[in-house]
Amino acid sequence: MKYEIILTVNGVAYPVEVDAHASLLHTVRDQVGLTGSKEGCDDSECGACMMLIDGRPVNSCSYLACQADGAEIITVEGLAPGDDLTPLQSAFLAEGGVQCGFCTPGMLISATALLAANPEPTPDEIRVGLSGNLCRCTGYDGIVRAVSKVARG
Amino acid sequence: MTIAEKPFIRPDGKEKVTGVGRYTADMNLTGQLYAKFRYSDHPHARIVRIDTSRAKAVPGVLAVLTHEDVPDVLYGGMVQDRRLFAKEKVRWEGDVIAGIAARTAAIAEEAAALIEVEYEVLDPLPDFAANMDAGASLVHEDWETYGADDSLDRSGNTLGHSSIVKGDADSAMAGADVVVKSRFVADASQGAPIEPRAILAQWHGDRVTVWSSTQVPFAARSGVAHTLDMPESHVRVVVPLLGGGFGSKCDFHFEAHVAALAKAAKRPVKLVFSRHEEFVAPDHRREGMVIELETGANRDGTLVSRRGTLRLDKGAYCGEGGFFAQMAAMHACGPYKIQNISVDSYLNYSTNQPSSSIRAPTAPQTCWAVEQHMDQVAEAIGMDPAELRRRTLIAEGDEGPAGQIFDPIGIKETLEAALDMIGYGKELPDDEAIGVACGWWPSFGVPSGAYVKLNGDGTGTIITGAMESGTGAVMGLPLLAAEVLGMSPEDFSITYQDTDAGPWDMGSSGSQTTFNNGRAVIEAAKEVREKLLDMAADELEAHRDDLELVGGAVQVKGSPGTSVTIADLAGSGEPILGKGSGDVPEAPEVEASACVGRLGMESFLAPQLITHAARVKLDRSTGVVRVLEFAAAHDSGVIINRIGADGQVYGGVMMGIGQALSEMTMFDQDGRQRNPGLLDYKLQTVSDAPKIDIRWIEVDTPNAGPKGSKGVGEPPSVPTSGAIGNAIAKLVGRHVDRLPMTPERVWETMHTEGE
Repeated sequence: MKYEIILTVNGVAYPVEVDAHASLLHTVRDQVGLTGSKEGCDDSECGACMMLIDGRPVNSCSYLACQADGAEIITVEGLAPGDDLTPLQSAFLAEGGVQCGFCTPGMLISATALLAANPEPTPDEIRVGLSGNLCRCTGYDGIVRAVSKVARG
Repeated sequence: MTIAEKPFIRPDGKEKVTGVGRYTADMNLTGQLYAKFRYSDHPHARIVRIDTSRAKAVPGVLAVLTHEDVPDVLYGGMVQDRRLFAKEKVRWEGDVIAGIAARTAAIAEEAAALIEVEYEVLDPLPDFAANMDAGASLVHEDWETYGADDSLDRSGNTLGHSSIVKGDADSAMAGADVVVKSRFVADASQGAPIEPRAILAQWHGDRVTVWSSTQVPFAARSGVAHTLDMPESHVRVVVPLLGGGFGSKCDFHFEAHVAALAKAAKRPVKLVFSRHEEFVAPDHRREGMVIELETGANRDGTLVSRRGTLRLDKGAYCGEGGFFAQMAAMHACGPYKIQNISVDSYLNYSTNQPSSSIRAPTAPQTCWAVEQHMDQVAEAIGMDPAELRRRTLIAEGDEGPAGQIFDPIGIKETLEAALDMIGYGKELPDDEAIGVACGWWPSFGVPSGAYVKLNGDGTGTIITGAMESGTGAVMGLPLLAAEVLGMSPEDFSITYQDTDAGPWDMGSSGSQTTFNNGRAVIEAAKEVREKLLDMAADELEAHRDDLELVGGAVQVKGSPGTSVTIADLAGSGEPILGKGSGDVPEAPEVEASACVGRLGMESFLAPQLITHAARVKLDRSTGVVRVLEFAAAHDSGVIINRIGADGQVYGGVMMGIGQALSEMTMFDQDGRQRNPGLLDYKLQTVSDAPKIDIRWIEVDTPNAGPKGSKGVGEPPSVPTSGAIGNAIAKLVGRHVDRLPMTPERVWETMHTEGE
C-alpha cells in the first residue's frame, strides 16, 4: 500500500507516494531528486545521509519518509540560500575540511545543527557534536578547525 | 618553497559543499535497470551445477548471466587467475556466480536468491601461513597453466616469493654482541571509503560507456576490453566525483559485469553496493601477515645482521597485488644501515577475501613489526630507542638493502623534528608514554600524459588522464600550469576522469599523481609557452628570447607597455594546444643478483621518509589506549600544495591510528568475514582524533617529481602503528605482538607471563 505524503524540502513542498517502509533518504534522492545527501551505510553509522528535520539532525537512512510528512526538511542543498556559500561551507573549503566530499553533506548538516544549538562550542563540544559523522580522508582536523573558525566569528 | 603560498581553494570544492556534485550513485539514465550479484555460498567449493531458470522466470528480470554468457577469459595483474563469473570453483565468499539485471533492485535481489547452485564443498584454506607447507591443498590446482609475470617466483600456493640478500647474514649474526628475535602477527583491515562503489553502463551500438567509482579508469577500461573481448577504443570509462578509495577502488573490479548485463538486457544497468558488499565483495583489503625478525647488533648500535621471514595473505586471487612479497621484504629492512641481510617473503593464496593495494600496501604492518623490533634491539643493548635510530638511519651516500646508493634524503631530520614536536624525554604521568617509529615508501615513476589548451578569452583548460580520488592532487594541477604560463590558477578548468579525453595515466595509486601527471602538465604548458612566444614575437616584432609571460600577457622583458595579452593570441583562431609527458625518473640500478623475485622494488626511487611520534595514555584496568598527541615529520621532497599535503598527513595518521588500535577484519574459521559493517569494523571518529603536529623536511630531491617533490599520500599511515606500539610497550613492559592492538590484546599482554 502506498501513502500520499508531502515532504517539504528546503522550503519547497513535494507531494510524493511512498511505501510504508520507504526511508526518507531514498525518497528524497529518488523521488524529490535531491542527491546531495549520501548513502554510506544505510545503518546510521556513517552520518553521510544527515538532514535537518525541524532543526534536528537525523540520519535519514534510518528515518521513514512517512515520519517526515509535514516537517521542515533541510538537506545540504538547502544550506546556502543564494549563490553565496554559508560561512561554514566557505570555512570547510578554506581549512581543508573537504577532500573526497562524500561525508561533507552530513558533516555540514551536523555542524549547522551544532552551531544553531551552541553558537560558541569548545573544541571538545565540536568533537562530540560531530562524532556521529565518519570521515576517512581528512583526519577531521580541517573540519574541526572550520567549525571553530565559524564559531569564533 | 611551497608554490601555493596563498590559500588555494580546490576547484571541485563548491559543488562538494553545496551537494550538487554528482557521484556515480547519484546518476540515473532513462530505462535503467538495477544489478545484483549472486555470491558464492561457500568459501571453497567445486561448482557442480548452476540453474538460473527460476531467476529468469521472475517478472521484471531482463538478464541473468553466468560464466557461460561471457568470453572464457582469465584476468589479473601479475597472475591471470580469475574469471568474471566463477566457473569450476569458488575460492572465497565473495566470488561472483551470477549477475542479474531487473526493473528494480528488489526484484534483482529476489531473483539472485532463486539461482540454484549445486556444490561439492571443499575444506576452506584460510591459514595463509600454513598453505605454503608441503602437502597443503591448493587454492588454484591449475596455477602452473596461468599466464604470469616471469619475475615472480611461484610455487603451489605461493604466488610470489622475494628475497633481499646482502652479505652473509648467518655468520654476521653469529658474531653480533646481541641477537634479538621477534614474531608479530597482523590481521587484515580495509580501505573502507565512505562511498560504497557504484557502476552504471550504457551501450551505443558496439560501444559502451561505463561510469564507475574507480581510482583507475584506464585499468578499468582495459579490464572491460580484455574480459569482454572488445577493443579498448570501444570502451569509455568516466568517473564522476569519487568518494574516496584508499586503494580499495584500484584495479578493474565490476565494470565488465555491469557492461555485460547492460548488453544482454539492451538497457542501461546500474550497480550500487551496500556497505556489507563494500566489505565483502571487492578483491581489495589490507593483507594479514606473519612477520618473523631476527637482528644481530653490537653494543654501539651497529646493526650487523637482519634475518626475516614474512608470510602474507594474498587471499583467493592475485588482482594487482602481485608485487607484495618484494615490497614487504624491503620494509622488513627499513630505512636503516644494516650490514648483512637475508629476508624471505612469501605471498600465499588462501580462501580468504583477496588482498590488494590499500594505502601503502604491506608497509604499515611490516613497519609496525620492524619498529617494535628495533625498540627491542635498543633495550637489549641498553640504548635509548631514539639514539639507536639516530645512529642507524640512512643518509646521503649510504647503501640500501640491495645496494642502492641514496641521493640526499632527510630521514634523520624527520627523527629530530618528530622528537622535538612531541617533547621526547619530557616528564609524563605514569599512565602515559611516548613511542617513536620511522618508515619509508618509494615514489613510482610511470608514464603519464596531459594536454593544455588555451581558450579564446585567455583562460586555459587542462585535459588530463589523472584521477582525483579526493586528495586534491588533480585539483592542484592548475598551480603548475599557471606558473609556467604566467597565468593564475583560477584561469584553468580541468577535464579529467574520462578515458576518451585524457591521455593514459596509472590512476590514483602509488601516490603518483603529482609526481607523474604534474610533470606531464608542466611539459604540456611549456609547449604552449613556446607557441605563445613564437606568436608574440611576430606580433611585437621582438626577439622571442627577449619576451616573458607575466600576468596573462606576453611582454618584452621589463617593459610591460610592449605586450600582447594571451587572450589576444588565443583568440586569433589559431589552436593553441600543448601535450606533455616528460622523462620518467627511474630508480637507481642495483646489481642485487643474490635477490630472487625481483620486481623492480629492490631499489626505491625518491624514497619518502617518515618519523612518527605518539604520546598515548593507557587505562590499565581495561587495556584501552588513547592517542593524546601525535607528531608527524615527513620528507616528501619539496611540497607543492601545503593544504593538500597536510590533509594527506592528517587523514593518513588517523587511518594509521585506526589500523593500530581498532580496525580489523575478523574471519571465522572458514574465512567468512564476521564484522562486515561500520558498527563492528571500527573506524576512528572525530572524538578519537588527537592533536596532530606536522613538519615537512623539504629536501630538494634530484631524480624525482616536479620541482624536487616526491609522493605524499601513502607514507602518513606507514609508521603510525609502530609509534603507538612502542609507546604501549613502555607502559605494559612488553610489546603487543598482534595488530590491531585492541584493548583485549593489550590487557592480555599485560597479564601474560613473558619470556
